[in-house]
Amino acid sequence: MKIILNGDTHSHEGNQSINSLLDELKVNKNHTAVMINGNVVPKENWNDQIINENDEVEVLVFVGGG
Amino acid sequence: MSDLLTFDDIIFKSRLLIGTGKFSSIETMINSIKASETELVTVALKRFNKAKTEDDLYGPLLELKNVTLMPNTSGAMNAKEAIRAALLGRELSKSRFVKLEIHPNPHHLLPDPLETYEAAVELVKQDFLVLPYIPADPVLAKRLEDIGCAAVMPLGAPIGSGRGLATKDMIQIIIKESKVPVIVDAGIRSPSEAAESMELGCEAVLINSAIAAAENPVKMAEAFQRSVKAGRMAFEAGLMPSTESAVASSPLTSFLSSYD
Repeated sequence: MKIILNGDTHSHEGNQSINSLLDELKVNKNHTAVMINGNVVPKENWNDQIINENDEVEVLVFVGGG
Repeated sequence: MSDLLTFDDIIFKSRLLIGTGKFSSIETMINSIKASETELVTVALKRFNKAKTEDDLYGPLLELKNVTLMPNTSGAMNAKEAIRAALLGRELSKSRFVKLEIHPNPHHLLPDPLETYEAAVELVKQDFLVLPYIPADPVLAKRLEDIGCAAVMPLGAPIGSGRGLATKDMIQIIIKESKVPVIVDAGIRSPSEAAESMELGCEAVLINSAIAAAENPVKMAEAFQRSVKAGRMAFEAGLMPSTESAVASSPLTSFLSSYD
C-alpha cells in the first residue's frame, strides 16, 4: 500500500505497525518522534498503532537549531 | 546560593543558553557546550533522512551531564504548527521546556507576535515551560507573562545578523516591567554585548551563531561563559551612577601651585 512518508510516496506492506516501519527505516527509535496525519503518536503506541493506506507519516529527529 | 536562574521548580547555575545550529561538526558543538558551561540547549526537529543519519544530535547530547534540552518550534509558520512541533519535541526530549518561535518570513525571520501569543496560551495550558522568542515589545512581553510564560526572549537584532543590542531601549523597558526572566535571544555577536545584556538586568542570554560561526567556537564559548558571569556580577554589584560632567576621583587641592 501507499503512504506518504516525510513528504514522499513510500510503499509499505499493509497491516503494519509504526514499529515495523521504523525497523524498516533502521532509525534509532530512542531518538525518533512520530506523527501520523498531524497527530503525535506516543512511543507506547508504536507497537499497536497500524499505519493505513494514504496515511501521512512524519518520522522526526533532533538536529542542530538555535 | 541566591543567584540562580529558575523556571518554575527547575534551577540552573548557568545564565548562558546555547543553540546548537550552524556548528561545523558535532564534536565542535559538544566541546563548545562544555566550554560554555551551559545547562540549557536548544535543538530543532527535522525529518529523518536515511542518507544523512549523522544529522541526529540526540545521542551526543544525551551523553552530556547537567544539560537539559529545549526543543524549538523552528519551521512553524503559525500557532497550530508550533503547537504540533512542541508536542513532538516534548515526546522526544521529555523536557517541559519549549522555545516557541514562529517567524514565517524567511527574509527577516522576525517573530509573528499574534501567532506566538496564540500558541503560548495553548502550550502553557499543556504544562510546557514556554520561552517565547519575541519582538522587543514591552506590551507583548507583559501579555505573555500574564498568561504564564516561564520567560520572555526579546530579540536584540534579527536571527544570525550579529547586529547586537539594536533594541536595547525596548529591552530595558521589558526588564523593568517583567516578573519573569528576560532573556536576550538573537542578534548578539560579541561577549561584550552579552555582558551588557546582563548588566542591564537580563536573567540570561541565548547564543548560537556568535559561537558556532566564530573562527574558534570552543574558545568563543568560553569567552561568552566568562562575559555572562561578569555581566551578571556587575548587575548584582550595581553600576555607579553616570553624570553629564566630570566628578573627580583624586583631590584637587592646589598645594603644588603654592610654591610658584
